[in-house]
Amino acid sequence: MTYKLFLSFLLITLVGCSESFDIDVSFRSSDSTDQGIDNAFESTYVPMNSQPILFRSANIYDGLGNEFLNYDLLLSDGSIKEIGKSISAPGVMVVDAVNKWITPGIIDIHSHMGVYSAPGVSTSSDGNEATSPVTAEVWAEHSLWTQDPQFALALKGGVTTFHVLPGSANLFGGRGATFKNISQNTIQAMKFPGAPHSLKMACGENPKRVYGSRRQSPATRMGNMAGYRSAWIDAVEYADGMSETNEDRHPKRDLALDTLMGVLNGEILVQNHCYRADEMAMMIELSKEFDYKITAFHHAVEAYKIADLLADEGICAALWADWWGFKHEAYDMVQANVAIVDQARNGTGCAIVHSDDPVGIQHLNEEAAKAMAAGNRAGFNISKAHAMRWITSNPAKAAGILDQTGSIEVGKDADIVLWSGNPFSVYSRAEKVLIDGALAFDINDPKIQPITDFDLGIIQPEENRVQ
Amino acid sequence: MKRFTINIFLILFAANVLSETILLKGGLVHQGNGEVAKTKDILIADNRIVGVGKNLIIDGNTRVIEVNGLHVTPGLISPMSNLGIVEINSLDVTRDDESNILNAGFSIFNAFNPNSTGIPWNRSNGVTSAISTPSPSSFPIFGLGSYFVLDGSLEVKGLKDIAMYGRLGPSDGSRAETLAILESLLEAGSMLKNLTVDEILEMTLAEKLELQTEDIIALGKVVNDYMPFVLETNRAVDILQAISMKEKYSLNLVLASVEEAPMVLDQLKNSNTPVIIDPMDNIPNSFDELGSNLNLGKILDEAGIPIMFSTQRSHNYHLMRQGSGNAVAYGMSYETAIEGMTNTVARTFQLNNRGSIESGKFADIIVWDGDPLEPSSFPKIVMIEGKLHDLASRSSKLTERYTNTEDKPSSYKH
Repeated sequence: MTYKLFLSFLLITLVGCSESFDIDVSFRSSDSTDQGIDNAFESTYVPMNSQPILFRSANIYDGLGNEFLNYDLLLSDGSIKEIGKSISAPGVMVVDAVNKWITPGIIDIHSHMGVYSAPGVSTSSDGNEATSPVTAEVWAEHSLWTQDPQFALALKGGVTTFHVLPGSANLFGGRGATFKNISQNTIQAMKFPGAPHSLKMACGENPKRVYGSRRQSPATRMGNMAGYRSAWIDAVEYADGMSETNEDRHPKRDLALDTLMGVLNGEILVQNHCYRADEMAMMIELSKEFDYKITAFHHAVEAYKIADLLADEGICAALWADWWGFKHEAYDMVQANVAIVDQARNGTGCAIVHSDDPVGIQHLNEEAAKAMAAGNRAGFNISKAHAMRWITSNPAKAAGILDQTGSIEVGKDADIVLWSGNPFSVYSRAEKVLIDGALAFDINDPKIQPITDFDLGIIQPEENRVQ
Repeated sequence: MKRFTINIFLILFAANVLSETILLKGGLVHQGNGEVAKTKDILIADNRIVGVGKNLIIDGNTRVIEVNGLHVTPGLISPMSNLGIVEINSLDVTRDDESNILNAGFSIFNAFNPNSTGIPWNRSNGVTSAISTPSPSSFPIFGLGSYFVLDGSLEVKGLKDIAMYGRLGPSDGSRAETLAILESLLEAGSMLKNLTVDEILEMTLAEKLELQTEDIIALGKVVNDYMPFVLETNRAVDILQAISMKEKYSLNLVLASVEEAPMVLDQLKNSNTPVIIDPMDNIPNSFDELGSNLNLGKILDEAGIPIMFSTQRSHNYHLMRQGSGNAVAYGMSYETAIEGMTNTVARTFQLNNRGSIESGKFADIIVWDGDPLEPSSFPKIVMIEGKLHDLASRSSKLTERYTNTEDKPSSYKH
């Protein structure tokens, strides 16, 4: 074990006791090296043109747990400029927001938009490289179809940022990437600037079913574990080799090991599909064996059973409000799952409501409403302002972009939703969605309702899917 | 709020033991018959509703349950579920929704398991009865749905084989072929007017489609006895094909999904065909659904077409509430939404004495803790045939276990 890896082991242990996930984010960036991870396929995203805009007398959930009633919000130059009472900004466009609500742009930490595009036909099935249990070399963004009509539907539901992951057929499914929800003609032009990659890992039934049915490993859960450990052993050796000062002694570059080394270096965040509590605990142990950090467990139907452990380890759980029964490992669903994870260790848990679904992503506010109500029925006292974190700042944290977006704070990206009413009501609709201060969707203006190339001329009699 | 729940339950169980008449007093009652909700009392005797209104006459034995201001609806009815016949989708050994032998005549009725965990779960979320159906197969007709009362009784209460289910949509072959097969099947049923089952079985058509006795008898019911035929289809021109079939064979047609219905609205309306929609599914999942849009419910409602609700969320049939709530957010009338989860299903599938809060109907009633169309609302009282059910499910028991802070292994927390 190198000195560097030993140090990161210590840090992870410390972080585990500190209950603070944020410390770990700073650890990650300070520990980054210039080795291994290249800058290929970087974001070329440029915000759309915007004018300064002042929302007058809005009710605001800031995404950090606070509620501001009857406040003004000023956006300019793509950023949040001021939050306050009676802001004076002469000459600026004013939007009357009386009795309306403003939230940060909604963020989905688990989407397959663009890699499982609509229509869901074989030619657009690009999310699972199900040819080997370890495909850490593939990148979801290389599959993305920029004309997926699902982007605009999610936008209409207030989603300004989404993280696209490979599927869960493999132990290591490949890299995920984060996108601004503005459909452009190139993938790079949609990429969220500066957002880290993720590594998709998967526990349980899917890998063992996919490969077991082909009479190859893994065919069991113990086979899953052996598969992860073998890959990490290779990755540690590779990272050691790459850290040699004499470049002639570096191993031949390997795309899969590049990705795993990025995780060991803290530059790539682990998004781990894992349903069962005992398997999540096992994955945590695995992460300690190889000195890496799990950022979030996804689809964690049983997260509530180990909520304290997740809080102690600073690991988020990205969850559905109520999906269950489609698999054996999704049998123990409780609607209070999100709330129990959130409230663990005096409310220091990190709960996220995710979609994994092109319909669900359009209604994450409703999913959060269900999860909050179930939590309160179970005896918690969770406010709407607090629950808003589950679909804004918490997924931003798990995507490694909390410095840029995910809350309404001065200086952050002006990713904002104006809702017709309280966003926890089924009757409320996103009236305006702004991304970097630019109006990306307006319920009252067909010119500001995106129509992908796919939709143009294909829908009769109307052409606008998001109307 | 907690204490209120406890009080209600003390009253409920007392009521059960004594088998008295019950008065649900002061609720905001959505009768399910299309009328706007009003504050009314509901009197229940044995398993039936015996009075709805104000100042109902009660005697000393009547247990009064105050539900002041709470929304009250009929028990929700799912028109298309797998309740009781699928436990875990990915485990074939827990599924009874497919047949390798039968198609049109495949009945799931005898496979229904009242102990399936989906039943208390959906019941505690307000679904008191459901039609369970076979799952789609590669054949255009996949069998017969049956109606079940979700009271968990091992003496299954329900109506056997009340509707046939099929699908017209994209397939490996041509849909011209699918249409031809559908037509042949209906012809086979039609022949029962003049021929015996055995005579039909001997025909090339029956042989080619590998029809069994049960298939032909069931097809006969659809063509000759006006049994509802639920056909899932989306493409505008396919909806027109289905309507022609309805006219030709005088079918009691119900169309499901119908995502492109707005393009053929007049024809659909004139055909008097009720529909089952998932109002949240606006994804163009296939090239048959390019016109899919969240305003489907509003457009169908404005045309006066009877609407019911399905949901794609497996095991959570109660989420038709969220679906219909979204439909209302996009312009459907509130009363249509409530009716669509209750009385429209009862009317369409001839579920006699269900689906509305009216004298003479079975007392399948839900009292909600909020607006029933808000996804965050939840039942406070679930009553099926006059009997009060507690809201326990595996899910509620797991929640109790894992919010119990005692310091011992969870397997001892019960």
